[in-house]
Amino acid sequence: MLKMVGMNRTTVNSIRIRRLAFTLLVACSTIAKANDYTVVPEQFIYCTTCHGVELQGNRSVDAPRLNGMEGWYVRNQLLAFQQGWRGTHDDLIGMEMRPQATILDADGIEEAVVFVASVPSRPSPQATTSVGDSTRGKALYSTCAACHGNNAEGNKLLNAPRLAGQSDWYLHRQLEHFRDGIRGTARGDINGAQMRASIAVLPGPRAIADVVAYINSL
Amino acid sequence: MTHSFTRRKFLHQVGAAGGSAAVYQMALALGMMPSKAFGAPQLVAPLNGRKRSVVLLGGGLSSLMSAYELERAGYECTILEASHRIGGRNFTVRSGDFIDEMGNPQYCQFDDQPNLYFNAGAARIPAHHHYLVHYCRTLGVQLETFTNVNYNAWIQNDAVAGGKPIRYRQFVSDARGFIAELSAKGISADAFDSNLSAEDVERVLQFLRNYGDLDPNLLYKGSNRGGYVQPGIKAPTAGMLEHGTLHERLDFSELLKSDFWQYRMHFGESEDQAAAMMQPVGGMDNIVKGFVRNIKSPMVTHAQVKDIRIGEAGVTVVYQHDGQNKELKADYCLNSIPKHLLVGIDNNFPAEYIQALSAIGRGKMFKIGIQMRERFWERDNIYGGISWTNQNIEQLWYPSHGIHSEKGIMLGAYTWEHENAEFFARLDPQQRFEAALSQGEKIHPDYRKYAENFVSITWQRMNHHMGCTAQWTPETRELYFDYLQQPLAGRHYMMGDQISYHPGWQEGAFSSAHNALSELQKRVSAELASA
Repeated sequence: MLKMVGMNRTTVNSIRIRRLAFTLLVACSTIAKANDYTVVPEQFIYCTTCHGVELQGNRSVDAPRLNGMEGWYVRNQLLAFQQGWRGTHDDLIGMEMRPQATILDADGIEEAVVFVASVPSRPSPQATTSVGDSTRGKALYSTCAACHGNNAEGNKLLNAPRLAGQSDWYLHRQLEHFRDGIRGTARGDINGAQMRASIAVLPGPRAIADVVAYINSL
Repeated sequence: MTHSFTRRKFLHQVGAAGGSAAVYQMALALGMMPSKAFGAPQLVAPLNGRKRSVVLLGGGLSSLMSAYELERAGYECTILEASHRIGGRNFTVRSGDFIDEMGNPQYCQFDDQPNLYFNAGAARIPAHHHYLVHYCRTLGVQLETFTNVNYNAWIQNDAVAGGKPIRYRQFVSDARGFIAELSAKGISADAFDSNLSAEDVERVLQFLRNYGDLDPNLLYKGSNRGGYVQPGIKAPTAGMLEHGTLHERLDFSELLKSDFWQYRMHFGESEDQAAAMMQPVGGMDNIVKGFVRNIKSPMVTHAQVKDIRIGEAGVTVVYQHDGQNKELKADYCLNSIPKHLLVGIDNNFPAEYIQALSAIGRGKMFKIGIQMRERFWERDNIYGGISWTNQNIEQLWYPSHGIHSEKGIMLGAYTWEHENAEFFARLDPQQRFEAALSQGEKIHPDYRKYAENFVSITWQRMNHHMGCTAQWTPETRELYFDYLQQPLAGRHYMMGDQISYHPGWQEGAFSSAHNALSELQKRVSAELASA
């Protein structure tokens, strides 16, 4: 939720005035066509309840963008949720996701992977939220690039997912989870442990915001 | 002619003293003006052969009321509902019903009996909720009394009296007695310094004596308002053939440790909770069924909206239904999709509109309904009402209907605190049942042995809901409420209990529809006038 700290009446009034203008200016943009959209298999309609149309992500329910996510990474994460490596202790949001993974059998996971991979990648319409300094973030990212690639495009050989285009608020939260040991500490979660070890390159309170700001710019 | 004091003259004088509002009220009282129509809403004027179409997104009560009124005025309506059922959070669960919780789909195992149902969402009707009562009357939905406060129910707090439950009546009686005694002492001591006359002081003391049932010396020595120790000696009902024995008074400092007096003790006096309350005979969804019976327009379930585009000539909605993406064009769109899911759907709303929708939080609420093989609470003198506890379950509800029948559905938990809703959400259904039973046992020691089966409803995890009552703050209301009530480009109208001051109440949904229909009527009137 947005915090409305320090908003005085003048601000409120000026917002109201701007709104009037907006109301008159609703864009008559290109009409979307029904066949622009992926037909979602019935058993995965519930994915789009939270992750939004075309799996574009929805911050209001803390659901990250999934379109453009690599199939192998989708599989790894569904398995991680099943194992309880994600979505267990101290992670209420992950706990919301976990039952969706545990309800799937092995075939279900493969079908989910095929579905997610079938949704075309497209930029998220949701505004970026990161307030970090991307110049500082660029310097910090040089270490990350070794696995995630110079353009944050990901590297399957190293089990490093693509980061470019991911919802920035989601990246921010996951980096905090790695830092705080909510992710990457479960026994058996080798990939998570790798990332948890690497988070040491982002020390201090600002580093995460900075590196996310840089990834945003890629 | 001073004696011919006409009503008009009288009103003139009232007006001089109290302004036009006073005149209006007084005129109503004198029967000189029609009072607010208690019948048909008359919000939408008939189109008289002109064509107008409306797409209604979401199949809850605001859409049902709107479709009902609009189609009677000649509008062509279509309701699109994402889930498998019409009704939204007006949801009565019966034998075999599907509970579409994300990751935890369940089917209701209750016996197939008319009185074995559970209102998993809306569950009470306050008599002053105008539209709710109006539509019950219009649609032939029979109502019965709903007991909200029951003086024989239990209050239980782990920190008080060793966690032992206390009868509601005893807690309230003792709390009032102590407060009255304390006040009487204060007033007697300060009487000479106060502005009260001696007569006033005496009246206040009498008031307190009656309020707290104090003795002639203004001391609280217990009261039969708290009930006698049951059973009696000479006859089963104490106090019938002998003086009843009062309960030992609770210790005041012990009472103060309870959180019950902070809110819940006065809950039944709040505007929407005060007696007498009602419920539909046979389940809250009889209201939904009443609308559905009387609406001819298509009500399409399993229709998930993907795009809402407002144009010069109307609104185009893309939705998936029956394995296909489809397009629907309408002149206007009335939209009650939960705001936190709406922002995940494509649209061409202004950024500020999205910001406003995103600023309202989503509520979390949990209920569990348990089928009990016997109505054991009735043997404990409890018929309807609520027991309160400071455990995660917060409340136990006893059904107001089906009294003295064999079985009953008890509400085994109803959480208002978000952390309690989360406590249950993170458990799987079987664990929720176990937690509800082990906590309920502190109030009814043999609770578990009666429990046959259950359904759990976690509104913040229900598919196509992912939330319960919209969470507004004073700041977000100030910034966004009026704005979201306004039509967008004269084409798109937000609705639902989320766009009201009473999220979570059916009347909130109806009132939001009242606003949307009034705005739509203005728009259509202007269009027709300029055509």
